[in-house]
Amino acid sequence: MSTHTYKKFEEAQSGVLPDKMTIYQDCLNAFNESPVNSKRCRLLISRLLQLLAQGQTFPCTEATALFFAISKLFQHPNDSLRQVVYLAIKELSTVSDDILMATSSIMKDVQNGSDMIKPNAIRSLTRVLDESTAFSAERLFKSAVVSKHPSISSAALVSSYHLLPIAESTVKRYSNETQEAVGDLKTFPYHDGLSEHYPNSTYIAQYHALGLLCMLKNHDKIALMKLVQHFSSGSTLKNQLAQVQLVKLVGSLLSKDHQMISQLSPLLLGWLSNKYESVQLEAAKLITSLPDRYVSPELFSSAVQALQGLLSVPRATTRFAAVRVLNRISMVAPEKIVVCNPELESLINDSNRNVSTYAITALLKTGTSNNIASLIKTITNFIHEISDDFKIIIIDAVRTMALRFPEEWKSILNFLVNVLKQGEGGFQFKSSIVEALFDLVQFVPQSKELALENLCDFIEDCEYNEILVRILHLLGKEGPGMKTPSLYVRHIYNRVVLENSIVRSAAVVALSKFALVKNDPTFVDSIEILLRRISNDVDDEVRDRATIALEFIESIKSKGESGSSPAESLIQSKFTYDLASLESKLSQYMAAKQEAFKTPFDTSSIARYTEDERKAIDLKRKQEQLFTTVSSGKSKGKSGVSSEADKKNGSYGGPDATELDQDLQATKYAEELALIDEFKPFGPIVNTSKDIALTETEAEFVVTGVKHLFKTHVVLQFHITNTLADVALDNVYVGCTPALGDGESPLTEVISIPADRIKPSETFSSYVAFEKSQEVVTEDLLNTLYFTTRELDASTQEPFDGDEGFQDEYEIDTLPLTAGDYIRGSFVGDFLACFDELPNHEISVYNIRENLSLQEVVDKLITTTSCLTLDNTQFTSTDSNTHTLKLFGKSVLNGARVALVVRLIKSSKGIALKAEARSDDAVLCSDIVNGLI
Amino acid sequence: MADLSLYSVEALLILDGEGKRIYAKYYHGPHEDPEQASQQHKSVKQQLDFESRLFKKTHKQNADILFFEDSLVLYKEYVDVSLYLVGSADENELVLQQALAALRDSLELVLATGIDRKNILEHYDMAALVIDETIDDGVILETDPATIASRVTKPPSKDVPINIELSEKGLLSAWGFAKNKLAERLQQGL
Repeated sequence: MSTHTYKKFEEAQSGVLPDKMTIYQDCLNAFNESPVNSKRCRLLISRLLQLLAQGQTFPCTEATALFFAISKLFQHPNDSLRQVVYLAIKELSTVSDDILMATSSIMKDVQNGSDMIKPNAIRSLTRVLDESTAFSAERLFKSAVVSKHPSISSAALVSSYHLLPIAESTVKRYSNETQEAVGDLKTFPYHDGLSEHYPNSTYIAQYHALGLLCMLKNHDKIALMKLVQHFSSGSTLKNQLAQVQLVKLVGSLLSKDHQMISQLSPLLLGWLSNKYESVQLEAAKLITSLPDRYVSPELFSSAVQALQGLLSVPRATTRFAAVRVLNRISMVAPEKIVVCNPELESLINDSNRNVSTYAITALLKTGTSNNIASLIKTITNFIHEISDDFKIIIIDAVRTMALRFPEEWKSILNFLVNVLKQGEGGFQFKSSIVEALFDLVQFVPQSKELALENLCDFIEDCEYNEILVRILHLLGKEGPGMKTPSLYVRHIYNRVVLENSIVRSAAVVALSKFALVKNDPTFVDSIEILLRRISNDVDDEVRDRATIALEFIESIKSKGESGSSPAESLIQSKFTYDLASLESKLSQYMAAKQEAFKTPFDTSSIARYTEDERKAIDLKRKQEQLFTTVSSGKSKGKSGVSSEADKKNGSYGGPDATELDQDLQATKYAEELALIDEFKPFGPIVNTSKDIALTETEAEFVVTGVKHLFKTHVVLQFHITNTLADVALDNVYVGCTPALGDGESPLTEVISIPADRIKPSETFSSYVAFEKSQEVVTEDLLNTLYFTTRELDASTQEPFDGDEGFQDEYEIDTLPLTAGDYIRGSFVGDFLACFDELPNHEISVYNIRENLSLQEVVDKLITTTSCLTLDNTQFTSTDSNTHTLKLFGKSVLNGARVALVVRLIKSSKGIALKAEARSDDAVLCSDIVNGLI
Repeated sequence: MADLSLYSVEALLILDGEGKRIYAKYYHGPHEDPEQASQQHKSVKQQLDFESRLFKKTHKQNADILFFEDSLVLYKEYVDVSLYLVGSADENELVLQQALAALRDSLELVLATGIDRKNILEHYDMAALVIDETIDDGVILETDPATIASRVTKPPSKDVPINIELSEKGLLSAWGFAKNKLAERLQQGL
């Protein structure tokens, strides 16, 4: 090695790393030298580690060469060098071949090495073992586990834990020793004087041993229960982490069997006042995440108390953890944490902005209509001090609150307008405020006028084109229906005078919509004058739009009052397309190139929504979003705050994934059906239900069913998946028998299309079509799967030639055709008024004996009726035994409205349920009420 | 909730004052199913992206803990380096806090002149050992800073180690050695 490179690598201490190949060569040279220069080798390994940590990788051959060279250093007895050698082996073991060759050297160290390097040797040993060699280390691990030295014992336990996926049986053989290690309090032996630091045992081996033991006895509930009983009593467990692990163990036991809560709750109560904060926290987390009906209110409130105590701790992490749990509770049961409100309010100004944001969002949830006004005042003072990211989260929380408390719209609107006018904040922040205002306009009719006026003011000095254009669109949509349309016209025309061409063209479109205002010919005339003036604009797009708008207005005028002209719907369209399916159709159309362009694009197959339907979908999506954040907060500990914070756009980027999926799915089905000749005479699909599972997901044949509704037909589509490994299913069809029997059933089977052959792990569809009358028809369909099994030749994956196969059948669940299949959720601004106005009336009463929570029943009702929940009634309150659910939808057949009010009362005997339905359609009305459960 | 796994730490990062990586390790069990591991484990480029986003979010924020991209992140910022500990969302925050505190304190003990970029780079082997003794592939191995520090060896002091021990035993053996030599010489002389 030349002095030159040596210098270079001395310099490297300044932090500039020599390149990869230099290090590689240096390492190979130095490690193969004799005698070994230990100081230089350690330095080189340190460089190597740094290189690997930077993300550099070596190709397998080079890594193996390095590994081989490093293993030569085992001949050098220096502990200090040996320790980094082990570190390098750990790193390289994942990328190099032939790592087994180091096994014997490492094992020697495990047996005879000094206490200093023994733990390192043990931990490296795990990395070089594989399934076939793991057993050879059993004796070594066993003796290390019982070692008196805490570090050695810990190392062996953790290493065994790492080995579990490949050698569980080996590790099991010393589970007795592991159990002893949990209770054993190991201390460091007499200080050897070599090190300047005095180790102080935290008994962390207990944690490792307990963790390992939990895994070994994972499936044995009784053994786990014994563990809990054994180690929870007295003070056997000294280590903090081990105690946390024990709480987690109790949590996992409870999640498997909720009934054990009565036995375990004294224990949980004890942990809530444990001396370690982490144990308190874990216990509180556990208690608050259990289903309500198993936790006694006393236990829950002491958990909340413990969290309350943690809120005023100086350490930010503790406060963060506690407020996070409280925030999660606030989404499902805000009334339970109202006691913490004073503490939460004091956290609004916390130095950790994450803590303050969690506190605010929790407060917004716990807010009742009484204190919302004061809460909003507090936030108004605070919101200017934080960064945009957090502002957006808060605005989002306020927005959901606006949907929850429509009656509080005034203070909410004032708040939003205030922050909007402050002028600070970037595009995303502004856009989220405008979104919130849009929501108010859409879903809280009372606030419309004031909100629109404020938006008008805002566009006078808004610098973002995108927001401007959206507001102009909204003004155009809502403005003509308001009391004083001329006010909006003035604001819109101001934009035409002052803004750039993008905004001008949007303003023109908005203006033209005002021409549809009825009963005021002079007003329409002035719009026309304005538009004429605009048609001399310098920009051609603006000119074009103005001219075409004038044309439309002219043609409407010429028709006079006699009904609507097509021009009217061009100015103010009555429906919008389902964008997801429009997009997929268009891209298909474009992909077909020349062929397709001969015929114009056909829009009739794309779902269209009217204004109300669009609103229903929007509201549903927003409610679902609220709900998914709650449920994910529950199951995975994720919080609404984070998921909203991570959503970079700050505004709704469109339908969320599941919704989009469902839309696309329906379009896909429609295409599939359109390809089948037998179904062509049925006409277009009226409605498609969700996919319903008809078997367990782990059954031999997994079947799901979809109901497609045509005008006078029903087509059932069954997706059949063959999960068997070596059998093909031939001629698969589903026999559907209406439950009422042949003569009486309103359904008559017309066609059944079988699936020809389903090979292992393939899914095919089979169809059954029924003819029905035009009315609402409800029926249960009893299903049986018929098929011929044929064994497959393993080599060719084809059936044996001579095999005739044998016929078989398989019972699957009933697929009910319910009233809900004829209904699509819809939105109505004033539910009660609408409810009272509907003519037909039906009441029905049910008693549910199963032990379900109110929420579970509500969820089920929403799915079976496929209606939209209104007035935020989809969430039950956790501490009351009654709930009122409001549902609204429209029939897909004739557009008849259906409104449902369901009152639920939970008692010790079960849940009593009284459903009251009103509808335009008498049959639908009675069908839906009588088919609820 | 019922996650009993000991793999509580997802990653440990040390970034410098500009968000560049000094040390980074994304943990996974050594014998984990490789397919599963590759799913969770991002490519180096994704890792670097993650780090720069994280740094942007935390730099000069003085927040200690935050929820970032579905993970809990605890961190400690120094003048020109920051320590980050990334844990799964369900993990007990205070347990992770212990691990980070142990790491921080033991680094302080081992790097005698405090935690800064130059010091860590100069004693990279020591820093790497400290981390290895605190977290073993995602499992928290030890939380007592003194214990961790005592388990980290210093680099060998000389190129060729000569054992001159100043303890009593060392002196005795030196005396013994000298005595033997003297005796040999005398015998030869005789």
